[in-house]
Amino acid sequence: MSAAQIRFATLWRREVNRFMKIKKQTIGAPLLETFLYISVFGAALGSRIDKLHGIDYVVFVIPGLIMMAWSTNAFSNNSSSILQQKFQGAIQDQLSSPASPAELLLAFSLGGFMRGLIVAVLTFIVSVLLVDLPVDHVLVLIPSLFLVGFFFSQLGVLIGVRAEQFDDVAFAQTFVLTPLIFLGGVFYSAALLPEPYETLTHFNPIYYMINLVRYGFVGYTEVSIALSLLALTAATAALFLVNLRLFSRGYRLRA
Amino acid sequence: MKALDITDLEKRYPNGVEALRSVSLEIEEGEFFGLLGPNGAGKSTLIHCTTGLAQPTGGSIEIFENDAIGHYAEARQAVGLAPQEPNIDWFLTVEETLDYHAGYFGMPRRERRERTEELLETFSLTEKKDERTRTLSGGMKRRLILARAMMHRPRLLILDEPTAGVDVELRLELWHYVQKINQEGTTILLTTHYLEEAEQLCDRIAFIAEGQIVAEGTSEALAERFDVANLEDAYLALVGRGELSRSHIEVTPEVEA
Repeated sequence: MSAAQIRFATLWRREVNRFMKIKKQTIGAPLLETFLYISVFGAALGSRIDKLHGIDYVVFVIPGLIMMAWSTNAFSNNSSSILQQKFQGAIQDQLSSPASPAELLLAFSLGGFMRGLIVAVLTFIVSVLLVDLPVDHVLVLIPSLFLVGFFFSQLGVLIGVRAEQFDDVAFAQTFVLTPLIFLGGVFYSAALLPEPYETLTHFNPIYYMINLVRYGFVGYTEVSIALSLLALTAATAALFLVNLRLFSRGYRLRA
Repeated sequence: MKALDITDLEKRYPNGVEALRSVSLEIEEGEFFGLLGPNGAGKSTLIHCTTGLAQPTGGSIEIFENDAIGHYAEARQAVGLAPQEPNIDWFLTVEETLDYHAGYFGMPRRERRERTEELLETFSLTEKKDERTRTLSGGMKRRLILARAMMHRPRLLILDEPTAGVDVELRLELWHYVQKINQEGTTILLTTHYLEEAEQLCDRIAFIAEGQIVAEGTSEALAERFDVANLEDAYLALVGRGELSRSHIEVTPEVEA
């Protein structure tokens, strides 16, 4: 391995090691949360709700839950990891190393991405054990989930870099991210909403992500798959470039 | 070759504070150099600019002829920093802290393992290697920071007040160690508030005050420059507190007897 490869592998390993050391909190808790959602909305409420667009309610909900698991874990891992290291000063060890801004950014991004991936895969396995979950369009599903994971990893990095206190991260997660996810159609179909809520939902970017993932699993969508994929790719790339600029300038990282 | 060549370095923070004002400094390879000055004089800012933790607003820094901004990878590879504050990751063990640091500097696994064992032994940390860093005492954290700074075998070691708040044994241990590695060729830049430390260890010393280098030379030359007997008095003259000189302390007859 070259020095640059060793450097990047170490930066990435450190991020994975961080969340694996507190896996009850970083893997166990989100997994339990998702399992509870499936139990409540699937087994308890789902039995009283008729099919949605010809799909069992619990099966309709699960793709959104998997996307939610990946996105929230990718986001919270990166935002809290960066802020915590800034707070401790430990990030100085990495910033004063020969690592380039791109290496640092990618390593931080992949930490959250990995945590989201692990929780999402475990959620998928639990879901498959509980219900008959189809995978209709794997070629849409895989890139969609990866893009969603990478997008929220970048968002977590952005918030972590900008944040000056833990309250800033909590605010972004509680007052911005969670409402957008919940109002993006994880638990319902926006097509069934009365106006103006149906139209308003179309302004929520998470709505398009949920539809992409849902289409990948069950083949149902309310949006254009090609356009949504294109928009998600563009948004992820734009966010990555913004973060790269912040890392290159040392914004709130270097004095 | 110059280990560190700083020319007209300036650092102005966004709040308007001018921490460094046209600082120029040269440290030759193999030299043991001391940087002294009161709190807030700009010592840590200068160190942060050198190690990439702060971005200069003017001037240039070359580390072994590599520009610290244009060729930051080569420049940083040559530098080891033991900062003033124990900036260690609470989640990591002692061993992981050293291993990861060496990894950030591209050291291969086998070499990392050997170097980690060597430095754990040198800094009496072997028994603590599996402990999380947050459980360490202040002295142990200080040892770890020094070991970490040495992990990638830097050619220029920067020690920012390394003996602040440590016990006598550790201070002496550290003195012996840094003298040894200096004799082996490592260039050392030391900031300290302990003047006897600077006097004993450093080949040359610079005084920094209000973001400017105000005097530079051997401790004898500095005393001569301020027309006083020793480095401590030269320092007191610099900060305008000459009345605190030990030579002004009256010795009572009882004590004398």
